[in-house]
Amino acid sequence: MRSRVSENECLKKAFREAYSAKETEETGDGWQSAVMKRVRRIGPLTPASNFLPAFEHFVWRLAPVSCLLVIALTLLLMNIDFGGGNDYLGTVTVDLEQPTLVEIFGLEG
Amino acid sequence: MQDDSFRPSNAEIVRQVLDGKVNAFESILTRYKVQVLKIVKKHVPNDAVEETTQEAFVRTYESLPTFKGTGDFSQWLSSIAVRTCYDYWRKAYRSREIPLSALTEKHPQWLEQVISQGPEESLDELESQMETKEILNWALGKLSAENRMVLELVYLEGLSVQEAAELLGWSKANVKVRSFRARMKLEKLLRIVKEQGRKAL
Repeated sequence: MRSRVSENECLKKAFREAYSAKETEETGDGWQSAVMKRVRRIGPLTPASNFLPAFEHFVWRLAPVSCLLVIALTLLLMNIDFGGGNDYLGTVTVDLEQPTLVEIFGLEG
Repeated sequence: MQDDSFRPSNAEIVRQVLDGKVNAFESILTRYKVQVLKIVKKHVPNDAVEETTQEAFVRTYESLPTFKGTGDFSQWLSSIAVRTCYDYWRKAYRSREIPLSALTEKHPQWLEQVISQGPEESLDELESQMETKEILNWALGKLSAENRMVLELVYLEGLSVQEAAELLGWSKANVKVRSFRARMKLEKLLRIVKEQGRKAL
């Protein structure tokens, strides 16, 4: 098996040393006053609203109930006979129409 | 010498800032500037350090209302600094402003030399600092922002997957996958450099 170049201990050490050496690079100090200037421009902060954490807690408490409800509804839907429902609707429709036709044509005995 | 017992705690300063005393934030800035600078210097190029550090502190200020006083403030601040650096690279890659350094024939030679060294031999004898930096920057510049951050934290800083995940705000699984991919990519890049050296000989 070919040994990995990147896992070579000497190379790893050299890379880590070069990487850590970046810490010592010089930088100016001007950024500090710039931070405070920006912070003052933003102004006083408004404390985070407690609504979201409370809502999150509420959602998690309801999660098991929601799962049970989904399972129950799925089972219910699986047991419904939609074809039979259509027949029933047809019967109802006919029943509703019949008296009207009888009335129109005066066929009532 | 300053007596630490008179120094207000972080929680106290945060409370003051949230009570509207904006200038109290300067204490946080003074207290943590070295820590944040150290993080930023390692992750972004030198010419972007000041701007990124500034951005990290402004984000910290804006996020103060979400800081839960019970946690470690220093760790919380570090994660903001790391994420700001990550955002710097994401922006840089999007606008294709990656400083790509070119390699010369001395780099493959340096690589061969380092690899053939015994672990007990000192690297100081090699005039390697510059070449190491150049190869490292070249390889990191070829990675995506995600791979770059993970490689820096796990491979170069030696942080655990858990620690890197906490700093970046990613899942452990994501860090593991990224870390593996980034190392494979680095391996491929280093092999290219090695091959270049062989061809040149």
